[in-house]
Amino acid sequence: MDLKDIEKKPQDQLYPMQKYPIDGQVFKSLVEASLTWLRTNQQTVNSLNVFPVPDGDTGTNMVLTMQAACDEIANSSERNIGKLTHLVAHGALMGARGNSGVILSQLWRGFARALNNFEVLDGQRLVNALHQGRNTAYKGVVRPVEGTILTVAKDIAAEAERSIVYTQDPYDILERIVTAADESVIRTPELLAVLKDAGVVDAGGKGLFFILEGMVRFVKGLPLDVNIAVVQPLSAMKLENAFDSIEPGQDFEVVVDFYPNEELNIPQFYEDLEHIGTSIQIGEGDGIYRMHIHVEADKIYAPIEYTKTLGVVTKAAIENLHSQMEQIEHERGKSIQFTSVEPGQIATVAVAPGAGIARVFASLGVSAIVEGGQTMNPSTQEILNSFENLPTDQIFILPNNKNIILAAQAVTQLTVKHVTVIPSRTVPQGLAAMMRMIASGDPKVIAADMNSVLNDVETGEITTATRSVEIDGVNVLQGQIISMLNGKLVLASDNLKDATLGLLKKAHADHFELITLFYGIDVSRMEVDAIADTIRKKYPKQEIEVQEGGQPHYPFIISIE
Amino acid sequence: MNDEYIQLGRVTVSPQAIATIAFNAARQSYGVVGLTSKNLMDGITQVIVKDPTNGIEVKYDGEKISIDLYVIIEYGTRITSVASSVSNTVKFHVEKALGMPVEQVNVHVRGLRVSDMD
Repeated sequence: MDLKDIEKKPQDQLYPMQKYPIDGQVFKSLVEASLTWLRTNQQTVNSLNVFPVPDGDTGTNMVLTMQAACDEIANSSERNIGKLTHLVAHGALMGARGNSGVILSQLWRGFARALNNFEVLDGQRLVNALHQGRNTAYKGVVRPVEGTILTVAKDIAAEAERSIVYTQDPYDILERIVTAADESVIRTPELLAVLKDAGVVDAGGKGLFFILEGMVRFVKGLPLDVNIAVVQPLSAMKLENAFDSIEPGQDFEVVVDFYPNEELNIPQFYEDLEHIGTSIQIGEGDGIYRMHIHVEADKIYAPIEYTKTLGVVTKAAIENLHSQMEQIEHERGKSIQFTSVEPGQIATVAVAPGAGIARVFASLGVSAIVEGGQTMNPSTQEILNSFENLPTDQIFILPNNKNIILAAQAVTQLTVKHVTVIPSRTVPQGLAAMMRMIASGDPKVIAADMNSVLNDVETGEITTATRSVEIDGVNVLQGQIISMLNGKLVLASDNLKDATLGLLKKAHADHFELITLFYGIDVSRMEVDAIADTIRKKYPKQEIEVQEGGQPHYPFIISIE
Repeated sequence: MNDEYIQLGRVTVSPQAIATIAFNAARQSYGVVGLTSKNLMDGITQVIVKDPTNGIEVKYDGEKISIDLYVIIEYGTRITSVASSVSNTVKFHVEKALGMPVEQVNVHVRGLRVSDMD
């Protein structure tokens, strides 16, 4: 076979390093280069995660595994390639983290075993070692899933076997298998549906590619610590986590969507952006590019101005990261404060369908909340548990839903405490009753007072019809938005706004003073504000309040009083 | 056992069904080469089982699900990593299929399979 001679490069095209045989010390440099390059691209690998499992950050796991391998050889002056790769394999084994880390350690284990007792790595030995690595890795799983790091390892070994026909030089083989790894990674979505659905390539496979590419970049003398611009699919951009780390001074987040006029020179684009700010991310989808960057306060327009020179900007958003952070911390800190009771006082328990509504009840002085409402009725036991430990024997219960009243009344039979159920059929009724609650006093008198106000408030509820039906003369098609006034179906409409306005009209809201909208989890704050604005225009004499209710299924629960 | 209420009635999921989900998740997990019967008598060789209910125990106390896996792991892998990986995978797949939280996944390593000695 003389092919290898034909393919052999002339001496002057060799990289300087290629003159050295790969012994233990040369290989040590290659492994260290792998780690550096992998770490540089760690976030890119992390961003490819499909499963939100706790050990999920593939890039981080692979870096930690390679780090352990490098620590093992850091102080070794071993020149024997067989002994050195055994150290690498041992380190990787001890430091293996996550699925991808364990597989990586098995690849190293097989690789090392094939090089037992050899002094240097030549072409044929590299081929055998890659082959062994693949075999060992495949033994660790009963049902290998294709389209993963295992597939990439298999393709690499196959390419190495093909290469040996053309070249005996291990450096050349290394270069060829990097190309093969790249192509193999690109094919992973074709083999594994979850990857295709998420629009990503396999993270472990990509990590393995970076490990090999790091070696080749080192041989070629290319930088290893500079992140080359990587364009990710739009769906993979993790912008919501971006403000977990704000660099000092970089107070603003700018996101720009644009269509480039001509094909984008990504490395140049990336480099230019680096002069403007940090935390750069670039995404692409259907010809649209999305650019994300953190900048200083006086540079907030710079990314937009710059992008305008490249193409047509379709959307730009600027956000103050600090206020975002504060808001998030504020939300996190908002735990519910219940009113404490003393023996002999009356403690009130309210059933609330959402966190926001629970908070409102808490602010009015309830001592406990039971989660529940439409389609999620709490059990008698749950209601009982909520007040069993309160240090008083006078308990009021606000069921706030007509289907929960019975369960609440059943509780009275199960406890020695004196339980009074205030039969509130809706949340607004419960709130109205709660306004009249006084903790100390004659329970009978207070309960009567609370009962008397139940019907002073009109309750509007807006939800989606789960089936087609005709009730109370109203024809409803499945999927339509329906409005209920005090539990009675009054209106079916095709959108939330008409449903809300129609309901207020039926309730003669213009004869009342205060309209409170509790919005649910299924509706966006923007939509809520738009509807609230329309209501304000229609009912200028009434006061309109908007509260986060947090209830499911019901975009709005409306109190009209 | 594991009841969930839907609008028309009740859905009941048996422990065997959960075990099957866990079984398949475990077999796809890297490093786990088999499951083995939990009721091993002394002196009997460990057999890799095909029936999910043999290598997997599902407990439900009315609130929480806990799963015990009896596994055989490939010799030469880091056992703690493989074990934490398989418990995460099983938890993820069972929770995804069931929509109920899994409180615990206990991994009992009952043996190692040696394919290659180093």
